[in-house]
This record gives sequence, structure tokens and C-alpha cells, in this order.
Amino acid sequence: MPVDEGAPRPEGFPSDFGQGSGDADAALALRCLLGITPRDLHELIWREGSAAASVQAIMAGAAGSDNDRSFLEETTPTHVRRRLDAAGVRFALAGDPEYWPAFLRLADPPVGLFLRGRPLRLGDRRVAVVGSRRPSKLGIDAARDLGRGLAASGVVVTSGGAIGIDARAHEGALDAGGTTVAVLGSGIDVEYPATNRALLREIVQRGTLVSEYPPGVPAEPFRFPARNRLIAGLSIGVVIVEGVARSGTRSTADYASQLGIDVFAVPGPVNSPLTEAPHELIRDGARLIRGAEDLLDDLGLESGGAALASLDGLPPDEGLALAALIEPMLPDAVSRITGLSIPDTVTALIRLEVRGLVEGVGGRFQRTFRPAAQA
Amino acid sequence: MYGRVQGMTLLGVGGHPVTVEAFVGRGLPALTFTGLPGAAVQDARDRIRPAVEHAGLEWPLRRVVVNLAPGNLRKEGAGLDLPIAVSVLAATGQVPAPSLTGVVFFGELSLKGEVLPIPGVLSAAIAAARGGLPTVVVPEANAVEAAQVDGVRVVGAATLEQVVLFLRGSWHPPAIEVGPGAGWQAPAADLADVRGQEQARRALEVAAAGGHNLLLVGSPGAGKTMLARRLASILPELTHDEALEATQLHSVAGLLAGSGLLRQRPFRSPHHSISTAGLLGGGSTVFRPGEASLAHRGVLFLDELTEFRRDAIEALRQPLEDGEVVVTRAAGSVTFPARFTLIAAANPCPCGFRDDAVRMCGCRDDQRARYRGKLSGPLLDRIDLRLRVPRLTKHELLGATGGEASVVVRERVIAARERQLARYRNTGWTCNAHLPGPFARREASMTAAGERLLGDAVDASALSGRGFDRVVKVARTVADLGAAERVDVVHIAEALSYREAFEAEERRARAS
Repeated sequence: MPVDEGAPRPEGFPSDFGQGSGDADAALALRCLLGITPRDLHELIWREGSAAASVQAIMAGAAGSDNDRSFLEETTPTHVRRRLDAAGVRFALAGDPEYWPAFLRLADPPVGLFLRGRPLRLGDRRVAVVGSRRPSKLGIDAARDLGRGLAASGVVVTSGGAIGIDARAHEGALDAGGTTVAVLGSGIDVEYPATNRALLREIVQRGTLVSEYPPGVPAEPFRFPARNRLIAGLSIGVVIVEGVARSGTRSTADYASQLGIDVFAVPGPVNSPLTEAPHELIRDGARLIRGAEDLLDDLGLESGGAALASLDGLPPDEGLALAALIEPMLPDAVSRITGLSIPDTVTALIRLEVRGLVEGVGGRFQRTFRPAAQA
Repeated sequence: MYGRVQGMTLLGVGGHPVTVEAFVGRGLPALTFTGLPGAAVQDARDRIRPAVEHAGLEWPLRRVVVNLAPGNLRKEGAGLDLPIAVSVLAATGQVPAPSLTGVVFFGELSLKGEVLPIPGVLSAAIAAARGGLPTVVVPEANAVEAAQVDGVRVVGAATLEQVVLFLRGSWHPPAIEVGPGAGWQAPAADLADVRGQEQARRALEVAAAGGHNLLLVGSPGAGKTMLARRLASILPELTHDEALEATQLHSVAGLLAGSGLLRQRPFRSPHHSISTAGLLGGGSTVFRPGEASLAHRGVLFLDELTEFRRDAIEALRQPLEDGEVVVTRAAGSVTFPARFTLIAAANPCPCGFRDDAVRMCGCRDDQRARYRGKLSGPLLDRIDLRLRVPRLTKHELLGATGGEASVVVRERVIAARERQLARYRNTGWTCNAHLPGPFARREASMTAAGERLLGDAVDASALSGRGFDRVVKVARTVADLGAAERVDVVHIAEALSYREAFEAEERRARAS
């Protein structure tokens, strides 16, 4: 059948796709193939009309790779299902309760999803918190604070399970006793990155792991952008904490805008490369948020967290020093601005640090991201 | 045909008297040693005869046996050349036996009969004075060194011939100019050269005043090395006894170029590729002091602390704790003094730009964690002062004022040290850094407000148990610098500001 390259493909999948056990098995087999992109697969399915017919077309050599053909010859669906059951992995197809309908609006929707841990519920409100794998201290604190604040209000925190901002957001949610969803760029049972092994295990216990990839598929760089479209698709809002200009972080935000999902960004120092992505997004119309309360406000949700600490009632020296700290500063600079002697300045700064209002970072003092959250 | 003279061998840093006996008897011409001669002494066999003949003296064409007593001690070093030659001359009647009473000989001989300079002359002279031997004959080039010791007459000889003439009473060696004791001179590197970095500069002052070890963590270009090199410039002058100890070590290591006592505190900065033996001392037969001992009474600077071999760093715990190094080898064991102030510098992370104001850090969490793991915990425990030295931005540099000169700071350091000495009279401690924890708390006699701040810091988990004692000790020093009897809030606060280096990172890691 000739394919008209120009014609837009319909959204989602044919109405009876994956219906009946035969076609469901065929859909599972399709999702296990690594030699065909989700986009090509989506096209093939629309051309052939069903999962079983698509499998036949691949066997006949019309699509996919040689590896895919040998996989389909050697493996039976029962075999795959047994392996999934052994690993405690569920498989969800479009129309299943765990298959989030927003995915169907993607140009390359996943045929199905592998899941472990707590079931995804249709009623869950999920917000993605994503950002740099090499964040600053401020970014780390912001991510953790967002994770906590969102989870405390019953929002499920979604992220990519990566190091840096992702990990802190997941951790924040778990800290607050909430739940979290990590979308992996590797096989559903592959603990990657190894640094986050303990975190990923914790998420299986108290949250959900989601992946497009069957067990055993290694993490590879080209899978991360694909993973990002699922992070965006799962969420009602996407928050960018830190990221350089051209990054995976930015791609998550782009997917969100394509899907019509709200994008939020946490601002930061204007001279830091880590704030390039959030600041650009804000210029492009993303909503600036200073923390979880702002976000919950914008989403029309109740804040479960504490309000910002009042900075009144500090002893005069400490008040002066805190007021002077408009950026990370050396004690000598604070002393010059406040007119306090250096010993008095150091005393004030250390007292503020003990109160949790100020912290020393790299030899300079700065205000903590969120005094209330740490008090 | 028997002669007997006193020589010296070096055992670690100390001189050890050796009795050299020579017997000349019948038999084929030969020179034999008994009494555990080391390799360098065996070498002397072929060196001594030409030296003697060059001096216009006669070598007996008979069998010569030289015995070195005590026989259970291995004798090392070329310093026995001279006493061996003199013993043979005594046995053959070429020098009068009575002239040898109370004289110690220490020197190496050349084939031409010159007396060559050797390491350890100061130690030999000290041992002679202690052993009640009133005269030492040493190489002329080392005479000034030996003359630092009270109670011995020093004869500096350039040739074997001079030695013989001296013993025969026909040469009167000139008195040795000890020099006016060249007073303390400011080292070239002055604290006034450092722009900005008030906190680090002050930390150097605190380290100098209380004898605290110091860790500087900062990005390349922050000025860590520049700061560290200036620590020696604010330390008090060496006392005479300290100078003797330090000079002895340098003499034994052969680092004293004909000069007298060390006047300035040593500053040693070994490269990070140094071996454990190089750092702590070692050697298979001859024991040589390591950098830790060469820094005795001065400063040991370890730049790029994380790059040093782990075993070498771990081995520093002993001198940091006991002020000495015990080197044990098959040949025996010796103790070298090694009481120094440690100053170490490190980058905050592998790329060096963690928390920098301008450049972005390119390290992953796990890389940073591995990097931090390279630092030995037990070593860090012995470092009271740890601080981050930020790389200053252009703006900050422009706003920075020049600091005080080293001489000004040094006055405060000396006054603070005197306060400590007065307080710790009869205790054996000399400075706050050496106080055991419980005593530090007692000696601090904190004000109620000071106690409260410290308590709050513990409650805010800004301070660990071990960190607590360190902060109290440092606060005591800060108070001493301010001539305060009791440790108050400002002192505690300042001490708390010196507890950060990698700890902030570790707290973050714990909190996550």
C-alpha cells in the first residue's frame, strides 16, 4: 500500500488496536522491538490496521530490522509475559487505565508502557520537575523544596530518575511522604544511573517506575529525548529548575508546549549558564515560580506547606547582615555594606546560619533558598 | 703498636660515640675492619691510605686491624674516615697519644687528604658535648655548624695534615666566628601582598597563634598557595633550643650549606608524588629524616592534598599526634622529631570550580563524592581550621583593601602564644591546638552567651561531636588573640566560620 508522506497521520491508534488477546500479544511484541522507532511503528500500525497485521508486515520484511525479525521468530508472547511477571512488571496499552490518554496526542505515541510499583491512577495530578544533571546548590534546594511542597499537597511528582535535579525532586516527594513517578530512558528493570540505585528501589516501593522499554534494554543517550516526551505527557504541568540552553531539560519543556501542558520555570542568577533554559522559557511565556506555593497557586491547588518565614524580629546586626545579602557575598563585603566590624559581621552571619536563614557556599554567604522549608 | 681515638656515627638524628682502635702487627700489608662496619665504612679501606700518604705521612706496610666499638651497632657514614686515619697514625706513633684525650674526630677524607664536609656535624658536636668530650675536630666547611654548640671547642680542619699538626701542637686553629646570631629577618613573602581574602588571612593568624593545622579548599587561582607560603612569615622566631633541633635535622639530611643555626622556621612543601619514606623518613641502612621532620618547628605545606598517595597521608597521623616519627627498618629503628604546623590545600572538586562565582562546575555528584573520599578522615580530624577560599571576582578584587603586613600580625601571634604559655605553665602543653577535648572546654571558660551559640549550632546540626572540640580550641585561640580571658560569642562565631571546607558538601549529602 503506498504511503502518502504528506498526509497527517491520525492521532492515537485504530479503535480496535490491541483488542482481543491475540492483538494484545502482538502489541506487546511490537513494543519489544528495538529496530523500529515509535514514529515508524505508529505509521505502520495505521497502514496495517492492527497489531497482528503489523507483526506480519515486519516478518515479511516491510519494516523493522533483521534483529526484530529474529526476535519475533524466537520469542513467544507467553515467554515475554512470563519474564514481565517475574520482574513484577505490568504492560499497559492505549485504553488501559494506566495508559495516560495525553500520550495519544503525541506524534509518536508509545504502543504501550511498562510499569512497576504503585499503579498510575487516572485521578492523580502529576507535575513534572526536571532540570540539570549538574545543578547548583540553589537548584538542588529548589528541586527538593518543590518535590516536598508538591507531595505535601497530594501532587505526584514526575521526573526522569536522573542524577541532579531529577533525583532531588523525587527525594523531596518521598521525604514529604508523598509519591513520585520516574520515567526511565532504559529498560523498566535497569537501574540507571547506578548512583540512583537506592532511590529507584525506593520509588518501586512507594511510587511508580515507567518506561517504554522492555526489561534489559540498556540506557543510551538517544533514548532520553524519547523519555522526555513521556515525562511531559504524564503531567499537568512541567517545572524547569535549572538547565543550560540546549539541553534535555529544554526538550521536556518543548514537548510540554506541543501538548499544551503548562510550563513553569524557576529563575536564578542571571549570569549562570544553569539558568539559561529557565530564563529563556520565561521569556517565551513560561510562568515564573519561586517555589511550590507559587506553582500550587497557579494550578489552583491548596498549599500544604508552610508559609515563608518572617524575617522580622531578628536582632539588629543579623537583620542588617541579612538585608545586605542580595547575592553570595564575602564577609568583608557584608561588613563594608553594613558598617559592622568584621568580627561582628561574622558573628551575625554565623548566627543567621545557625538559624537556617543563611548558608556558606564556596567561601561566600548567601540566603538559603527557603528558610521555612528548612527550619 | 696500638692506637685509640673517638669518632662518631649518626643514628637517626643523634650522634653516637664510636671508639676506633687500630692495631698494627705482623702480616701482609692490609687494612681490615671489625665491629659492624657499614658499606660506607668498608669503602674507607681504599680511601684512607692515599689520604695519609698525601698528607706526607707514612702508611705502615704491615697488617692493620681497625676495630669499631661498640660492636653491636652498625656504623654508617663517611664521618669515620678521619678517626680511622688518626687511629692508625696513633698506632704508628705519628701523633702523640696524650693529645687524643677528649678529642672527637668527625669527617670524610679525600684521596688527596682533604677533610670533606659531611652531614650531621651538628649532631656529632651535640653528642660530644653531652658525652663530656671537650674538643671536636670537624671539616672546616662544617665548623660554623659545630660551633653553635656550647661547651665544646671546635677545630675546623681543611686537611688531614692540619689535623696532625694540631695534635702535635704545632698548629693553632683559628677561633670560629659564630656570628652575631643573625636576628630574625622578614621572609620575602609578606602577608601584605595578599589582596582581599580577609577570612583566609585571619585563619593563618589563628593557625600561627594556636598551632592549629589548616586546610584551604578553593578553586585554582584563589590564592591558596600564596596564602600558605605566608604562614612562616607570621610565626614567632625559633628559640635557641628549637633552632638546634631543627638545624640538627637539616644537618643530618645534608641540607645545611655550611651555615650556622636555622633562624627562620622551616617551610617545606613536598610535591604530591612523594613516597611515604620521603615524607616520613626512611632509608634501608642510613636513616634519613623525611619532609615531616625537616618541617620540624616550622610549616609542612601539602599542596593538592587529594593528589598525595593515600598511604603517605595516612602515615602523617603519627607525627600529627605525637610530634615525632618512628622509622623502623631491618637495621633497627630511630625516632625523628616532627612537630610542625600542617597546612594543606585542595580543590573543592575534580574540575576545581565547585561553587565558583563565575565558572560552572562540570563534575557529577559521584565524581565529587569520590574526590572527597580521597581525603583521609583521620587526617581531617587533626585539622582544626578548614575553610573555603573563594576565587575573587574582579569586582571583589577591586573593592579589596591591602592587608596588614606580616610583622604586625606576628606581634599579635607572639602575644597570643605568650598567653597560652602562661596559662599552660606546668602542664606540658604549649598551645591550644594540643589540648585534649575535655581540657579545651575547661580552659575556654566560655561565657553563657558563647555556650548558647555553640549549643544552637549543635542543635542546627551545623556541628558534629568532633567538630565541637575543634571549634572550642579554635575559639580559645581567637580569644587569646583578642587578649580575652573568657571565650565569648564573637570568638565562637569566628571559630564556627572556620569549620567549612568539604563539610558543607557532606552535610548536603547527609541531608539528601
